[in-house]
Amino acid sequence: MKTNRQADIQLHEDPRVILGVPLDAGDERIRDAYLQKVKEHPPDREPAEFERIRDAYEVLRDPRRRARHMFLSADPQAALVSLLPASSQERKFTGPDAWLAVLREK
Amino acid sequence: MKYKQQTKLPSPPVHRTGPIPQEEDVRALLAKGKTKPAVELAREIHKRCGGPESEALLVDAYAARIRSLLKTGLKEEAKALFELVRKRYRSAAARFADVGVLVSASSGNLEELLRPLNDPALLPEIRRAIEEVIKSQVCDLSALAECPSLTADHPLRTAAAALLGAFAAVTVGPVEQSALVLPEVSHRGPLASWKILVRAIAYFFEQDDAASERCLGIIDPDSPPARLIPALRTMLRASTDKRLTPAAESLVSQVCGSKVSFRRALQALDAALEARVQEKILTEIQRAIAACDLACPELLERLRQHISVRALQLDLPTRKVRAALGGASLKNAYFWRLYARSVESSREPIEPLICAQWEQFRRHAVAEGWFREKSPEAAALYLHMAERLLELPGDLLERLSSKLAEHFSGFQAFYEDQPPLIQEVEAKYKKVDFYFLSPSHLFERACTMDPHREAFEQWLNWARQESDGRAADYVAECWHRALPLNSQPLLYLMESAEKRGALNRASAFLAQAQKLDAVNAEVRRAALRLLVAQTGRHLRQSKPHLVERDVAALEALPQAQLADRPAFVVALRWASAVIGGDAELASRFFGQIGRLLGSSAAASLLCENAGAFGGLARADFDRHVPQVSLDPPESLVAATARVCVLGDDVGVPFTIPTAWHARLWQELANAHGKLESRQVEMLGKAALRTNQKELAYAASAAGLELGADQEARFLLLRARALPEWEFDRREDCIAATVELGRRRRDMSIINEAMELRRGRRNRMSSFFDWLDLENWNEFSMTTEQIHAVLQREKHARAFPKDRHARFHVPFRETVFLDDDELENDDEPSALDDTNQLVPEMGQPRGKRPKRVHRDLPGQGDLF
Repeated sequence: MKTNRQADIQLHEDPRVILGVPLDAGDERIRDAYLQKVKEHPPDREPAEFERIRDAYEVLRDPRRRARHMFLSADPQAALVSLLPASSQERKFTGPDAWLAVLREK
Repeated sequence: MKYKQQTKLPSPPVHRTGPIPQEEDVRALLAKGKTKPAVELAREIHKRCGGPESEALLVDAYAARIRSLLKTGLKEEAKALFELVRKRYRSAAARFADVGVLVSASSGNLEELLRPLNDPALLPEIRRAIEEVIKSQVCDLSALAECPSLTADHPLRTAAAALLGAFAAVTVGPVEQSALVLPEVSHRGPLASWKILVRAIAYFFEQDDAASERCLGIIDPDSPPARLIPALRTMLRASTDKRLTPAAESLVSQVCGSKVSFRRALQALDAALEARVQEKILTEIQRAIAACDLACPELLERLRQHISVRALQLDLPTRKVRAALGGASLKNAYFWRLYARSVESSREPIEPLICAQWEQFRRHAVAEGWFREKSPEAAALYLHMAERLLELPGDLLERLSSKLAEHFSGFQAFYEDQPPLIQEVEAKYKKVDFYFLSPSHLFERACTMDPHREAFEQWLNWARQESDGRAADYVAECWHRALPLNSQPLLYLMESAEKRGALNRASAFLAQAQKLDAVNAEVRRAALRLLVAQTGRHLRQSKPHLVERDVAALEALPQAQLADRPAFVVALRWASAVIGGDAELASRFFGQIGRLLGSSAAASLLCENAGAFGGLARADFDRHVPQVSLDPPESLVAATARVCVLGDDVGVPFTIPTAWHARLWQELANAHGKLESRQVEMLGKAALRTNQKELAYAASAAGLELGADQEARFLLLRARALPEWEFDRREDCIAATVELGRRRRDMSIINEAMELRRGRRNRMSSFFDWLDLENWNEFSMTTEQIHAVLQREKHARAFPKDRHARFHVPFRETVFLDDDELENDDEPSALDDTNQLVPEMGQPRGKRPKRVHRDLPGQGDLF
């Protein structure tokens, strides 16, 4: 399970984005950002999000691993649709008319 | 035609009861949906029989015919036929009940359709037929809720009204769970699918996509609510191949904005890229770019870069791609990283060119602030580039690098139409520095910027294999200077000095290493080996007094007292006695060795190797060692293996007399479980030193029997023992060894396997010999593949003799595909820029057929 999550991070998610740190962030800043995120998403309340944050920190905490991740995480073969952030899905309440129109359409 | 012929059979009308002739034929035609010939045949039958049974059959055929007409939209014809049949046949009234409902419904008159429901004595089949029509045809809930032909409190009206309210509520805002219970709507009633639809929409807005999808899965696909499924699935991001209707498109756009359209455009582009059809790709690129511009303009540049790299991979014409993109993509660090990774993962990577691409990335990354010029990140990049170069055989790397340096003038073509900021970065590096073609330079930069043990280890390993001793010494010295607390460089320097015969210098390095970490196993072992080497040198120089001193020092080492090492020390004394001509003393030492090892054969073998190590002539050995019977009561293979382990222990490469070969081979074949794995492995390695490959092969067979823990080691031994021409088998064994080593985190076995492969590759004669080794840099194997290799090798116990009678199927098969599926284009390809840079690399590859791999037993991806 953990391996899968790490693979996900490597392929699809930028750990810097997860922790909210810029490219040139050093060890200290990365650690601060991690602790802040853990406060916001404690493991007892949001275990999945916490695991995601911890995995991101695991990638970034070691400078060499961080550097290698920077080069090797780029995946030119990944589906282009994966460029879209997951949060880009908005859902607006439009009232019943648009829905009913689909039902009436033959 | 067939049934028409059947219907024309002349038969007189006979009124009778009982089974009707040809009834089954009519029913069969109806079952097949052939209602018209069924009616004709039923009429013929009724004309002949004229009874109530034949009339019932005919009415049934008419009923099916009317349903068929309604289905095809011929409402008027259906209605006329219905009226005609109802008037003509008395039995039709009862049998036509449900057809009547359908005919009424076809007129669109809901009131007329529902009116019978007020009748408490309504026949159940008519009620069912009406409900079926409601279930499958009624899409206007408000009309149902307000239908005047039903009483106001009729359950259908109340259910429709409740659904209408709930539908409006879930599409206007969040609703409580209680609002979705809808007790007015029976889950068995005709409006059950509506109830599920309302829940699906509510879950959709709650972002509970799984629950929403579950609901969609149980909606009756023939009911009107099912019309919303494609739109909802699109919004749930589940891929759908169905084209949406205009109303559904409008709904998706209103609810999810333009991002869903963008997502769909990207999915279509992904599919086109997968299909590799040029025109389709170009069209979808345009659509995706337009959709991105509308929905996520902030992603536009990144999308362009990804598309550019994919187009380069597919060798699509640059100008057309650029036109479809609406301009050139930005050639910044992000692009170069993506491009380098793309070429790295291609089937025919050109390592020097990849390093040139990584250099471009480095320049832009530094300029854009990804990392500093001298930083751990830059060091990691240099290491990565060096690792790439190490994939090539040394002489090939040299040739390719010199060609690249000769022809390569940079990536200017990529910088056309780039913003000044990007061009400035490129302009800053006017003079091309080809440092990136030299592993030595790359390692040095990496180790200077971020000195750490792993980097120095890699550098030293490379220097040991590729360069002379001085280069490796230089690396070890750099390592020692950078990380003075590491003992490894000192041990290497000790070994190097020892090889050069500079034993005093070697001792000095050892002393430094001992000062750092005297209890380190490697240091202790090095101390033993150095003393042994020193003793050997003094033996060869015939200096018995110095030998005596060395042996005394050896005996004083605690590590010299372990295992069979005391026997080796005595063997050195034996050699010294022989050199000194003291036959009696030599005989005494020989007897002592025999007692220590518990075998005269082992003593003989140890003395032979110790003598060779000390420079003894063969005649001296023969004079002082009794002839060993090759048929001793004890196991010869056990004695030999024990001595081979001892040789490895003290750092002296022992060999096995060729005269022992047959006996050892025979015993090995029957040695099931009698030998330890290290003994078998050392025996095999000793056999290889005198090129006794059959014996080494037999050792690998015996080792593979020992169980899972040792499989990697014995697969590697098998790879070494195979004849040169067993190329595929050796490749498989090495790849399986590496993968097993990876899984067991055994770096030493991985390194050995890599060295074996690299060493063999260095013997390749030409560029194309090397290229023929498809996938040579791909070691990864699945568990099934490893198992297949292991099974094959375990079963192949006999040494392969005949080159032409190869008994196995190569584990990786190579098949050829032609390139027809890729459309040709007269325009220069996007990759031509690159190919022109290195003509000697680019042109011949263009002529080579596409080669793809297929993994047995299942077929893998072709590209």
